[in-house]
Amino acid sequence: MELLIGAGVIAATLRLATPIAFAALGGVITERSGVTNIALEGCMLFGAFFGILAADKTGSAPLAVLIGLLAGTVLAAVHAVASVTWRADQIVTGMALNILALGVTSYLNYEIYGSGVPSGVPLLPALNLDFLAGVPFVGGVIGHQNVLVWLALVLVIVLQLYMFRTVAGLRLRAVGEHPRAADTVGIDVRRTRYWAVLASGGLAALGGVYLTVADTGSFTDGLTNGRGFIGLAAMIFGRWTPVGALVASLIFGYGDALSVSLQGVSIGDLRIPVQLLSTIPYLLTILAVAGFVGRSRPPAADGVPYESEGH
Amino acid sequence: MPIVSVLAALLAGAVLILISGSNPIRGYAALLRGAFGSPYNITETLVIAVPLTLAGISVAVAFRTGLFNIGAQGQLLVGALAAGWTGAQFPELPGILLLPLTLVSAVLAGGAWGAIAGWLKAARGVNEVITTIMQNYTVVFVMHWLLQNGPMTAPNAAGTPASSPIGAGAILPIIIPNEIVPLSRLHAGVVLAIAAVVVFWFLMWRTSLGYELRAVGLGARAAAQAGIDPRRRMVLVMFIAGGFAGLAGMIQVSGLFHRVFDGFSAGFGFDAIAVALLGKNSPVGITLAAVLFAAFARGGTIMQADAGVSSHLVEVVEATVLLVIAAEAIVRALAVRRGTPAEALA
Repeated sequence: MELLIGAGVIAATLRLATPIAFAALGGVITERSGVTNIALEGCMLFGAFFGILAADKTGSAPLAVLIGLLAGTVLAAVHAVASVTWRADQIVTGMALNILALGVTSYLNYEIYGSGVPSGVPLLPALNLDFLAGVPFVGGVIGHQNVLVWLALVLVIVLQLYMFRTVAGLRLRAVGEHPRAADTVGIDVRRTRYWAVLASGGLAALGGVYLTVADTGSFTDGLTNGRGFIGLAAMIFGRWTPVGALVASLIFGYGDALSVSLQGVSIGDLRIPVQLLSTIPYLLTILAVAGFVGRSRPPAADGVPYESEGH
Repeated sequence: MPIVSVLAALLAGAVLILISGSNPIRGYAALLRGAFGSPYNITETLVIAVPLTLAGISVAVAFRTGLFNIGAQGQLLVGALAAGWTGAQFPELPGILLLPLTLVSAVLAGGAWGAIAGWLKAARGVNEVITTIMQNYTVVFVMHWLLQNGPMTAPNAAGTPASSPIGAGAILPIIIPNEIVPLSRLHAGVVLAIAAVVVFWFLMWRTSLGYELRAVGLGARAAAQAGIDPRRRMVLVMFIAGGFAGLAGMIQVSGLFHRVFDGFSAGFGFDAIAVALLGKNSPVGITLAAVLFAAFARGGTIMQADAGVSSHLVEVVEATVLLVIAAEAIVRALAVRRGTPAEALA
């Protein structure tokens, strides 16, 4: 039981879900505005590399967060120009940017660090809630989580309120559902989409910064290993809402945590193939998108470039 | 235009080499030497070009039908696993039986895996990009299981987890004798790749099915008006796409490694997208693009060894090629709006 729902596993779930949740939040914002951004994987990788590079060169963890975030935003800006202004194929551009991010970060990693890795970089601290130390379970789960884990949780709430309780959020959704109508009532479709894509890159990059400057303290080529894509899956599974995306990220994080905690465990004679447990999130996603586990519907104008009539 | 995008990308790569303090001319010279500098290097480039061509066709078949197959990577691995299993299961069979059996099992397995995405698209309206990405990850983990502690794990395999070696009958022979190019690994898979290019051309441009597939790609609604059921074609084309990728996997097993390794042939399925786009989804274009990207890959390792420039530069160049191609579509769109015929630019 300890291995399934112990405080250690749940704490690990929260840790592992964090980078996915950042990417998923980015995905929610950009797709709600009507732009598909599969370059989130690359944005996360940019955040991871330039974050730790900044931490190493400046010696400041907060500055590392800022620079990592900026790096992901810059990559997303390329996507924004291509997909919003030039109406290029968003999937092609996104794939190209993912390959570009992998190439640039691996290239710079080799040129700057050779076969070594940055070490001894300042890391973002955990938030030590000492008053929870005595509380069973809760203390173990949230007593020592990193500040970025908390930031992710706060952002989920903020973005949920923004999206469904503010006028700006309503406009964002209108642009993604029916850009022509939004345009007619005076919403600047292009500008809304630009901001959404930039924000998505910055959010995904925060997930990357978390991986290097909070979690591992080092960088290896292709370190994000598909977490950006999984974030997109979490976004779909969470039906394009911030809270839903968080829940889905937690499910994925739990799958990850289980595959670590159940390593080598057996039920009777049957050894559980942990690798097969790891496939659950992906299969769940396929089932969710296919509508077998609650239908989820993307924003109506998702991925469709918009051309205003007056130009 | 494709040449322009490659040149622009090489230029971008040169700038990156300069920024990092190396000499781009030395770097590119080493790359060229590594790719084509000796008979051995040429055969090594071709060894990489073979699976790239097949995976490129896999992506292109789907593209021509209006589908985006990001799943070539997973389909390739499924094909490799099927080939590795069949080849090892019947080691005593003669080559005349075992080789076709291995090939067919890989094509069917890759095809079936691909058809899932086609069916989900047709029956449930699921975006094939999402499905195929998820399928890619699923395969990776199933493969970990199969090769690390599952039914395909070779007994007492040391180092990288792997399957048992395939039977001699399942092996594609080396086609360049040792006396001509010593140590060459160029195998008969290159013949299969050329055959696949011809099959792709024939299928798409010389059969009524190919006509229907292209019609669906040009406009599903118009195709439906003409009596072609786009949804049935989607399932079929994803089966065909998966089959080509599965064949690529089989060739890696039968021609090169003679077993399946964990972490096997990573990345081919993604490079294949770039190959298909650069090759404009045409048989000759894909072949040339595959050779070019194979040259980058092979030359890149030599560039790193000889000129000290990271082989990852190749990915940067590759991505830039893709971005410029996307930009090319933009240029064309702009020209159309200004009234220039699109053909004039093609």
